[in-house]
Amino acid sequence: MTTSTPGLSPDLSQVPGSILGRDSAVTRVLLRRSAAARRARYSTIKIWVGAVCAGLVVLPVALAQVLPLPDPIVGALSESSLPPFSAGHLFGTDPNGRDLLSRVLHGGQTSLVIGVLAIVVSGLVGIAAGAAAGYFGGWVDAIVSRLLEAQMSLPLLLMLLLVVALFGPSIPVITLVIAFAQWPEPARITRALVLVEREKPYVAAARVLGLHRVSIIARHVIPNVLQQVLVVVLLLLAQAVLLESALSFLGAGVQRPYPTWGGIISDGRELFVTGKWWLVTIPGIVIALLVVGVNLVGDGLRDRVRRAKGDQS
Amino acid sequence: MLNYVLKRIGQTVFTAFLATATVFVLLRMAPGDPAANYAPPNPTSAQLEAIRQQFGLDQSIPVQFLTFLQHLFQGDVGTSFFFKRPALEVVMERLPYTVTLAVAAIVVTAVVAIPLGVWMARRANTAKELGANIATIAGQSMPDFWIGFVLLIVFAVNLGIFSPAGFTSASSIVLPTVTIAILQIALISRLVRREMVVNLAAPYLTVARSRGISERALTWRYAFGNSAIPVVTALGTRFAAMLNGVVIVEVVFKWPGVGELVVNALKQRDFPLIQATVLVTVLLALVVQLLVDLLYPLMDPRVRLGEASA
Repeated sequence: MTTSTPGLSPDLSQVPGSILGRDSAVTRVLLRRSAAARRARYSTIKIWVGAVCAGLVVLPVALAQVLPLPDPIVGALSESSLPPFSAGHLFGTDPNGRDLLSRVLHGGQTSLVIGVLAIVVSGLVGIAAGAAAGYFGGWVDAIVSRLLEAQMSLPLLLMLLLVVALFGPSIPVITLVIAFAQWPEPARITRALVLVEREKPYVAAARVLGLHRVSIIARHVIPNVLQQVLVVVLLLLAQAVLLESALSFLGAGVQRPYPTWGGIISDGRELFVTGKWWLVTIPGIVIALLVVGVNLVGDGLRDRVRRAKGDQS
Repeated sequence: MLNYVLKRIGQTVFTAFLATATVFVLLRMAPGDPAANYAPPNPTSAQLEAIRQQFGLDQSIPVQFLTFLQHLFQGDVGTSFFFKRPALEVVMERLPYTVTLAVAAIVVTAVVAIPLGVWMARRANTAKELGANIATIAGQSMPDFWIGFVLLIVFAVNLGIFSPAGFTSASSIVLPTVTIAILQIALISRLVRREMVVNLAAPYLTVARSRGISERALTWRYAFGNSAIPVVTALGTRFAAMLNGVVIVEVVFKWPGVGELVVNALKQRDFPLIQATVLVTVLLALVVQLLVDLLYPLMDPRVRLGEASA
């Protein structure tokens, strides 16, 4: 007692400026709660802004046949190379007098159909392979994991170009090629989630009830991870649209005169030097608007799913 | 450690072999007769046959592959049909351009993306950060060839600051680098943010703060130090992927690298040149990946190579 050195256990409430001495109304829990509330609000903003961006592109594209548009393939040569905002041609025309707005909307149908089909295929394959690898483990996991690794180390774009050269640039081939490029993503995340999920008590309960392994995976495990996987698959739609336009740009897209987005930009590339900037710029803005929209919606949804699952990050 | 390196080198050789074999078979299954590209106009069938025999294209695919492997072990990857020179030589001439571009792009990415990501993490869930967040989403949403064209229209055609295409002066590298970096900055800065948010909320940081360590040191030495491994991994993987050819950007800017080379070789069905390019770039990318993995123990003493991955 008497030997206690001054300063060894100072009374913290006497130290000027110390926060330890007085109780603050703002606690760590409150701070965390307010951060969560802000995060929730921002994820809502992201989802709405994204939905508006994507809707601005998807709706007109879906309605391209109904809207009063000039023919996308046959143009009037008297109206060649009009700049945007010309009478009757909001986006202008190309050197063949074809209306750019009409071409972008009709091309968008091809691009979107390919994108949606590709993510359906890659999503199904990825979820099935990932769930099997995660649930069964052992040699199934070994095969799936090695395939995923092998694909990562291959020069992917070159392979895709080769396959398109081999089977011809038709819609099914390009769809499958894009699906092939994309299946690792849903497979990897499904595998990781199923690895956690299979240890949970309800899986053991289902097993005790004598359910078949396949029906445990399909009816019990997958529905519990599906929400998180679907967000990833939705984000893949953005990648699929970008990949399709990149393939078209390199000449491995659906053949002209059927216009797709990448093809339209590729056609315009030799012309922007002569001042016809809109043929390249406008289709790119349309692609970017759609992809930004899909990415924002996906990102916002991911924040929400994470929160629902109680993840602190 | 030595075992680990040997094992990884073995894997590298196997993967390179796999890539080469896949490309080899796909090429020969693809339609389009390479002989027709190298014959005089309106060739007779005898002329075509002579060319096929000269390049060994008249044999079955397995026989061609064995011959290819045999030559490969003698250090010969074949002669380019188009350039009429050893394919390896042609690839090696182009490789420095791709490597230069990849290095420039990854340096710009690291210099911009890391501070940006740290800034976003420190202001996580504020209105400013939401703006930056949306900007990074926009950055990864634009087609890279389109960014290239827009930069060309603005800076080369309208302002005339940079040359429009090819490699004419040192400043030619600016636009391709920026084009690649925009996407990479968007991806890497989001990764940095994600890692930093976790580490900035970690209990060890509260302890360190209570010891009176400056915010700067807390952010960079403590939180970033612990976020470094995933970030360096991602940068390394991105860099390795770029060595496989920044194909699209090279085509847009007519940059004389391997990506542009391989796209043209594909059009001309120049089989040996495509194979040589794939072999060299895949090997290079795998070596970079291996070097990144070997860096781990230096960044985090807890990592013991070979044990976790075995």
